[in-house]
Amino acid sequence: MFLALKELKHAKQKFALIISVVVLVSYLVYFLTALAYGLASSYTNAVNKWDSESLIMTVDANDNLMMSFMTETDYNNTTVNGDKAKLGLFPAVIKNPQAVENIDTRLNIYLFGIENNSFIKPKDSNETLIDNKVIVSDELKKNGYQIGDMIAISGSDLELEIMGFSEKATYQTAPVIYMALSTWQSHRFSTNTPPDLFSGLIIRGDISNIKGELATYTIDEYILTLPGYTAQVLTFTIMIVFLIIIVAFVLGIFVYVLTIQKTSIFGVMKAQGVSNGYIAGSVIIQTLFLVAIGIITGLILTEITALFLSDIVPLARNILFYIIITFAFFLFALFGGLFSVSAVLKIDPLKAIGG
Amino acid sequence: MKKILIEMKNVTKDFLQGENVIRALKPTNFIAYEGEMIGIVGPSGSGKSTFLTILGGLQKPTTGQVLLDGKPFSELPVKEKSKVRLKEIGFILQASNLIPFLTVKEQLVLYNKIMRSKGNKDWMDELFEKLGVEKLKDKYPNELSGGERQRSAIAKALYHNPNVVFADEPTASLDTNKAFEVVKLLAKETKEQKKATIMVTHDERMLDFCDKVYVIVDGTLSERVN
Repeated sequence: MFLALKELKHAKQKFALIISVVVLVSYLVYFLTALAYGLASSYTNAVNKWDSESLIMTVDANDNLMMSFMTETDYNNTTVNGDKAKLGLFPAVIKNPQAVENIDTRLNIYLFGIENNSFIKPKDSNETLIDNKVIVSDELKKNGYQIGDMIAISGSDLELEIMGFSEKATYQTAPVIYMALSTWQSHRFSTNTPPDLFSGLIIRGDISNIKGELATYTIDEYILTLPGYTAQVLTFTIMIVFLIIIVAFVLGIFVYVLTIQKTSIFGVMKAQGVSNGYIAGSVIIQTLFLVAIGIITGLILTEITALFLSDIVPLARNILFYIIITFAFFLFALFGGLFSVSAVLKIDPLKAIGG
Repeated sequence: MKKILIEMKNVTKDFLQGENVIRALKPTNFIAYEGEMIGIVGPSGSGKSTFLTILGGLQKPTTGQVLLDGKPFSELPVKEKSKVRLKEIGFILQASNLIPFLTVKEQLVLYNKIMRSKGNKDWMDELFEKLGVEKLKDKYPNELSGGERQRSAIAKALYHNPNVVFADEPTASLDTNKAFEVVKLLAKETKEQKKATIMVTHDERMLDFCDKVYVIVDGTLSERVN
């Protein structure tokens, strides 16, 4: 400890350079993590809000919930040990009817058709969904929508009235609009006498029996089928893992070179009887210290950035991920430091004594 | 009766060079008593460093034995030897044994840290004073002159109160006056603190301060009698 810290203090500039590399990379890693988690959440927020175990759709839909048509018979034939809720799902483009003509207010959203008494209705708004009265994602507040405002749907005469807002209501990165299932059916099938069809069943609890050509997904399985979700999460994960490994190598190489430079000093220390353990421990402590300063600074920078950018990019902080990544940084840096430990072990004290 | 601090008994050292066995050190007996300053001279390649490294436990003798303070030393396992060295032997080396990123005082404090002891501050100050480096204790080695560096190195070598001090060409980088000053100090401390100091040197002028002088030629150690 003493030796490691005194050297850091003495050669501040040299170590500042190394630390700055760690700072930059750890900043990038923490930022990417927040971004990856934010993006992933914006895919799944509305799904996670259901707080349910599984989802049922038709086999013919081929994982695509929007192309699934389930009937009242399917609903009745599905028995569960818990609760079940009908969901109608369809994308739409909305516009602000009050906006000035030449301003583009078009926005991609998802329409969730639900029943008023179902457990998947947002808890943060008590409004009854009927006719054109809807609850919308609070993301729409960023676009200037307020309670009582009207929303126009492209390619339809339907205008919706905002009754309430719901937090964390995004699906595949787009805001969700919750409407009555009957309204959803009229819009989906473009008729005032629509068939009584819906997209899927959300199940809370266990399924005891289902009949017909239906496919069951756990919620986690379903999330993985969302277009682009797996590819995106995988890409981010690979980037983050590689960056952590790169930091380990960069640190490992730096510390190794510094250790090699100190061969004669360590040789003399060994000749004097200082144990390998003390010298190697000092090298390892130094490595971990560099990592610690670097990643704490990186983390602080990430938090500062998040303060300014969280309205523009979907950043979401997750303490658990931060802890795992911090732990991984230390673990890999330790591996990097082990190169130097092996170098210390090889130093021959005999060479310290000429003759 | 003077105490024997370090002793070599019938030590030899063989090296393998290709298929030939080279005897670097012929059967050697050597004794250093407390308060003795011993000079070792000899041409390069004569076996000086082999002698010193075997005495210091950095190499194992092929035959024979080294006793430190009457206890077997050369037969100990490597780790044990390191521990004994740390406590019983002080080193002063040619390029000085100082660590470049520690101040003079910190060089000594490092020993406390390694030994996990509080150390003896009075003794540290006393040493600094004796060696005339009390004003330099907060300086780094590169801020010191060659003589100041070697005086600090002596302070470091003596701080943990070793029985034996090895000095390997301690005056190599010094001019005559500085060299005399350093060796004189070393000889004085050897007497006062009842150490045995073994100094390997090229510089014949330094031998005036030694109680005994040994010469190594082709692996044979013999005492030079004036």
